[in-house]
Amino acid sequence: MRQGNSLVSTVTGDQPSATDATRSVELTIGGMTCASCAARIEKKLNRLAGVTATVNFAMEKARVTVPAGVTPRDLVKVVEQAGYTAAVPATREPDPAAGLAAGPGEQAGEAASLWQRLLVSAVLTVPVLVLAFVPVLQFRGYQWLLLVLATPVWAWGAWPFHKAAWANARHGAATMDTLISVGTSAAYLWSVYALFFGSAGAPGARSGFALLARDATAHSTYLDVAAGVTVLVLAGRYLEARARRQSGAALAALLSMGARDVAVLRDGAEVRVPVGQLAVGDRFVVRPGEKIAADGVVEAGYSAVDASMLTGEPVPVEVTVGDPVTGATVNASGRLVVRATRVGSDTQLAQMARLVEDAQNGKAAAQRLADRVSGVFVPVVIGIAVVTLITWLLLGEPVVAAFTAAVAVLIIACPCALGLATPTALLVGTGRGAQLGILIKGPEVLESTRKIDTVVLDKTGTVTAGRMSLAAVVPAPGQDTGELLTLVGAVEDASEHPIGAAIAAGAVDRLGGGLPAVTGFVSHAGLGVSGAADGHAVAAGRQAWLEGEWAQQVPAVLAARALEAEAAGQTTVYAGWDGQVRGLLVVSDTVKPTSAEAIAELRRMRLRPVLLTGDNARAAAAVAGQVGIDEVIAGVLPAGKAEAIRQLQAAGRVVAMVGDGVNDAAALAQADLGLAMGTGTDIAIEASDLTLVRGDLRTVPEAVMLARRTLRTIEGNLFWAFAYNVAALPLAALGFLNPLISAAAMAFSSVFVVSNSLRLRTFRPRH
Amino acid sequence: MTATTYAVTGMTCEHCVRAVTEELTRLGGVTEVTVELVGGGQSAVRVTSDEPLSADTVSSALEEAGDYRLIAADQH
Repeated sequence: MRQGNSLVSTVTGDQPSATDATRSVELTIGGMTCASCAARIEKKLNRLAGVTATVNFAMEKARVTVPAGVTPRDLVKVVEQAGYTAAVPATREPDPAAGLAAGPGEQAGEAASLWQRLLVSAVLTVPVLVLAFVPVLQFRGYQWLLLVLATPVWAWGAWPFHKAAWANARHGAATMDTLISVGTSAAYLWSVYALFFGSAGAPGARSGFALLARDATAHSTYLDVAAGVTVLVLAGRYLEARARRQSGAALAALLSMGARDVAVLRDGAEVRVPVGQLAVGDRFVVRPGEKIAADGVVEAGYSAVDASMLTGEPVPVEVTVGDPVTGATVNASGRLVVRATRVGSDTQLAQMARLVEDAQNGKAAAQRLADRVSGVFVPVVIGIAVVTLITWLLLGEPVVAAFTAAVAVLIIACPCALGLATPTALLVGTGRGAQLGILIKGPEVLESTRKIDTVVLDKTGTVTAGRMSLAAVVPAPGQDTGELLTLVGAVEDASEHPIGAAIAAGAVDRLGGGLPAVTGFVSHAGLGVSGAADGHAVAAGRQAWLEGEWAQQVPAVLAARALEAEAAGQTTVYAGWDGQVRGLLVVSDTVKPTSAEAIAELRRMRLRPVLLTGDNARAAAAVAGQVGIDEVIAGVLPAGKAEAIRQLQAAGRVVAMVGDGVNDAAALAQADLGLAMGTGTDIAIEASDLTLVRGDLRTVPEAVMLARRTLRTIEGNLFWAFAYNVAALPLAALGFLNPLISAAAMAFSSVFVVSNSLRLRTFRPRH
Repeated sequence: MTATTYAVTGMTCEHCVRAVTEELTRLGGVTEVTVELVGGGQSAVRVTSDEPLSADTVSSALEEAGDYRLIAADQH
């Protein structure tokens, strides 16, 4: 099969490598809430004779190898018996990368299906509500039109709730779906009963605004409740489905980073082949600007390799014969011949993909707050309904009256604003966030912000700008700083190296003017640059090169300063002309101007900042000191960042991680809350829960504050959604419920919930 | 009649609770299973049965239910 240009292989229909007796089936699994669900389904499938299955929680997919006698239908049955849903995708993915992209597509499909239900139900429900609430319009026999309109809304529109409620009921569990299903069904079925067997169906009957339900037993209908609740909850579900995180996206983004094809050397000639055909030991050519196809060792050539997309480090690494290079990094300058040492799923890129996947799998999905509340509420309501029924019967009331009261309890217990409580707050909160440059991915994110006590910050690109800039200019004794900057700036301006560019930009900045023209510019790879400016032959580069090639002595003051700078992780460049070293230029990644302020704000919010970096301890300490962080984890390998987060979590901390690089992706997914810099890589953004568009660290405390405010609003909404209905429960149990009260509860709680959510629009960050 | 509380790791959500409850209830002589979920930590699973259950029986039932592990048992 085409293991091809992918690191994760997707098994397709009739792969030639499989024997005739077995074949592979891919199933889409629904209803998994955590990694344990995946393990459970895996176990159930594997118990079938001859079946091997792997279930991926994040992608919601199962890959199953089945013997001849087993059909996909059998597999689906097994999964369904375990309490989940399974389907065979209609079309086979043409290539593995597309297979990864299929996850989000299916989620979009869910939103589309909800939209369809919502649209049809809404169109049918509007006349129901109008007729039910405007008595003037109630023509003779109007209630039969209501029934015709409301039936499809209850039966088809609310079908997802009925289905989910049934699935839950088999496990003896109750969620928000149960509440919705029971409430709408009670309202609908009761109305049908009233129409056919009660007095509500009489041609002259009007909507019952009578205050006492008990004497005229079954004359009122609640079709408006059944239809209205369904539409509102569908609307909420649709909004949520659209906002839902797309879990497969991080992997897809990561995998798309690799090279697609590679120029392999076969018998001295270059042959372009898909990267999947590359084998360990193959030698391949990488031209300037190309991505390196696999992990390997340089066999010939000299170049600078830009690994910033993997490590986040802004300075290209210079490589020559014998040096290792990593797949997916970019060859910045010279032609290289590389011998592949690790290909396909063994490369560092693939390992990172696995780390991200593992971290996402291991994260338990937070249960929806509304479901948690419903889990308690539903049994209580059913209990009250039963008690109501029994009490009425014991009091010697007629059976019909007893049932009326019991059903009324079920009808009023289903708060229609429940469906709106989470999505409206989320919609307004995310909208306000977008204005402030904070993109929130989904409701589950908010749940995690509350308990956060530690904020881990990646150093490069997060706390610092992730770009080289001129940090210090040290002239040799007696040398004029202006002249030093002018001459070195002029020569470095002709260089394309990021360090040269940083020096030139810094020089222009400090001089406040242009630089003289350079003639005879030469770039000495890995050593330095030289050229003539203002009548001087200027050289800038490494100490050994200036001393050797140019016979210039480095003054001791400068050497001491250079040592100091290098120890702090900074890069140094000497410059000289006319036989003398004239100065030292220090280049480094600089701390963003707003970082210190942001960290002070985090401390005010009682969050502990921690600096996490792959750099050495001295460099890390220098940055930490500048921004006021005292807890530093330094020298972490790219693959170790997620582990570092895990250790903090194991120590009982609830961790938010802020990062920007590919190497941060696994840590972002592992953290309880992942925040990606919008200026960072796609992978980091996909693996995170929140994206900070501006890349300004001050948005971190803002984001946490906004998320907490939104969560509080959701909680408030849930409270009020239930409160009006709970207040009406005793009325229902006593037999006083009538459509007016149920409609009022519906209207008040909905209006309250929506306006409470709208208050989030006024959210202002503190500074 | 005997009741034992087991410390079980690996449970993260209501689904896990259901899976574990289902498998344990299926064991002979088990009359009641209640789970106090501690997501990501050690959940307390209380099993009431006619006869005491061996740790192996419980372990294999947990294994059957999913990636769950028996850490400790406390009879009372």
